Amino acid sequence: MRLFLFAIGGTGSRVLKSLIMLSAAGVRPVDENGRPVPNIEIVPVIIDPHKSNEDLKRTEALLTAYRSLRQRLYGNAVNADGFFATRFVTLREIMSEGTIQLNDTFIFNLGAVEREKFRDFIGYDTMNEANQALTSLLFADYQLENRMNIGFVGSPNIGSVALNEIKDSDEFKAFANVFNQGDRIFFISSIFGGTGAAGFPIMVKNIRQAKNLEINNRDVLRKAPIGGLTVLPYFNIEHNDDRRIDKADFIVKTQSALYYYKDTMTGANDSNLNAIFYVGDQEVSKPYTYDPGEHGQRNRAHLVELVGALAPLKFAGMPLNRLSDPDGYPLPTSAFEFALDKDERDVNFLTLRAATRRLVYEPLVRFHLLFLYLRTGFRDQVGQGYTEDAPKIKSDFLNSQFYRTLTDDFMRAYVDWLVEMHDNNRSVSLFSLGETDMNRAITRVATRKGLLGHKSVDNNVFKAEMNRLSRDAGYSEHTVEYKLLDLFNRAATRIIAERYEAIN
Amino acid sequence: MKKQHYIYLALGIAATLLFYVLRVQAYEAIYSVPGFSDQFYNAGLYDMIPLITIAVPWAAAAIYYYAINSVRFDRWFHWLLVGGISTLLTPIIGYAVNQSVFADLGLSYGAESLSFELANMVWAAVMFVVASFAMRWWSSNCRHTPIPQ
Repeated sequence: MRLFLFAIGGTGSRVLKSLIMLSAAGVRPVDENGRPVPNIEIVPVIIDPHKSNEDLKRTEALLTAYRSLRQRLYGNAVNADGFFATRFVTLREIMSEGTIQLNDTFIFNLGAVEREKFRDFIGYDTMNEANQALTSLLFADYQLENRMNIGFVGSPNIGSVALNEIKDSDEFKAFANVFNQGDRIFFISSIFGGTGAAGFPIMVKNIRQAKNLEINNRDVLRKAPIGGLTVLPYFNIEHNDDRRIDKADFIVKTQSALYYYKDTMTGANDSNLNAIFYVGDQEVSKPYTYDPGEHGQRNRAHLVELVGALAPLKFAGMPLNRLSDPDGYPLPTSAFEFALDKDERDVNFLTLRAATRRLVYEPLVRFHLLFLYLRTGFRDQVGQGYTEDAPKIKSDFLNSQFYRTLTDDFMRAYVDWLVEMHDNNRSVSLFSLGETDMNRAITRVATRKGLLGHKSVDNNVFKAEMNRLSRDAGYSEHTVEYKLLDLFNRAATRIIAERYEAIN
Repeated sequence: MKKQHYIYLALGIAATLLFYVLRVQAYEAIYSVPGFSDQFYNAGLYDMIPLITIAVPWAAAAIYYYAINSVRFDRWFHWLLVGGISTLLTPIIGYAVNQSVFADLGLSYGAESLSFELANMVWAAVMFVVASFAMRWWSSNCRHTPIPQ
């Protein structure tokens, strides 16, 4: 199954970033019995005209790093277990040779939308006087003058016009052509801004009205299971006299958009959207720098984005009979919300409800321990123990592209992500940041008590476990990259179970 | 487990048995003194001392690879330390046995026994190397010590 994941606007990129982090840790969609969903590929498509958006750039860089790391680990295999298990592919990667030429990127090319002022895009100057007057009623002057390469600046009325072009784009046609029976579609967008609030319903409409499009499998597409994450207001922005984006408008915009969604997608008997996930937070975040777009928009990661990233995983694991009727027609919308177990400002694993904890605790802890091990122990252990088993991990591995991408690019982004979530409000403190002692790395989770005090976890414990596993398993048919990460994953699974207090 | 590792184990055992079978020649090659060597033979020490020279290094190697078997003691110098202790311990035990047997017979070969046991350190060291390379492959933490597989 392929999950086509459209991340729209800045919030879309940030939620996608959290999903990448979860996937790197090995969090995967699971079915109702808790078993990983097999044969799943995620096709992320970022829709955002604001190409210089720092959050978009960070997410794209992360996706690129993820893809290259996974390629080295598992090649083109769809099914994998452990770190970087879920396969992320571009539209270009899965489309067959044909007339459509796409760049090998995760970003949707919005063509003219990215280059023009809104007034030029709609041909304001060529309109007659009556139409100009009507247009001026619908759009404020600053909206008409908006250069759309910085996005729609919180104006869904711009986005709903500009993004209508999407259905005619090569990317949309390519997506429509590769979409097969059994695949699913998911949208991530905020409801209180411009790009996401407008792009989400337009995309859903275009898919459900696929019968009007000149594509091969329009019938499959219009019956596709579609889910969406609608991110409600969750962050605060610094006050600015400019006021093109104003926190005071967030709730009003949200209400208007929710009414519109209800009328077009999520009404009681409406089956345009099969599942909608709402997430937001009334707890006020630390204010983000006011930036309608001119300065790149780099916002701190937030708990809501981490929670939001669980939505596409949940959707991918839902049984088909909850999304489609026996004839394959989509069922009416089911709505989902998320709650913490405890309404606390400091969020750690114990603050999450049991179902969420079961899904994320072990993978995230394994990944964090990997981060600590690579930072503090691995370099000194090259040339010893398991690294000497075939295939040997030699010192030149430390200079390999894979290792540098993993440690310099990916892990650095991982730390930034943790720090940003920690410094935000709510503060996400899954791990003790800056703590290199593995015994104290997990917030409010200690090591188990043994006969002589607490059991210890350190790099040597990992080395011993990996030595044992390597001796018994044999990795001579695999790459050194796979050997290192698979060994660590298996070692960490055992060590977490044996040496840390059980919280699941 | 690799087949090759069982071959190493078999070769180690074979080399050790060969040493025991050819023990008299092996010891006379490194230390032979008229009178002392005859008494050594007559007292049955050419049966006992080789057994000690086999048992101590094999036991030391087994302790290193399977009892200690620690990531904190998996470097070549740790192996060398255990080998050194084994190589010293073997002649000490051998000397004590020599002296005890000779004393029971009313003989006094203190200096010769000492020289013999000093020479026996060569075989003790060889046996430790043989035992190490025969058994190390199944150790979880020290199988790459002293040199990687």
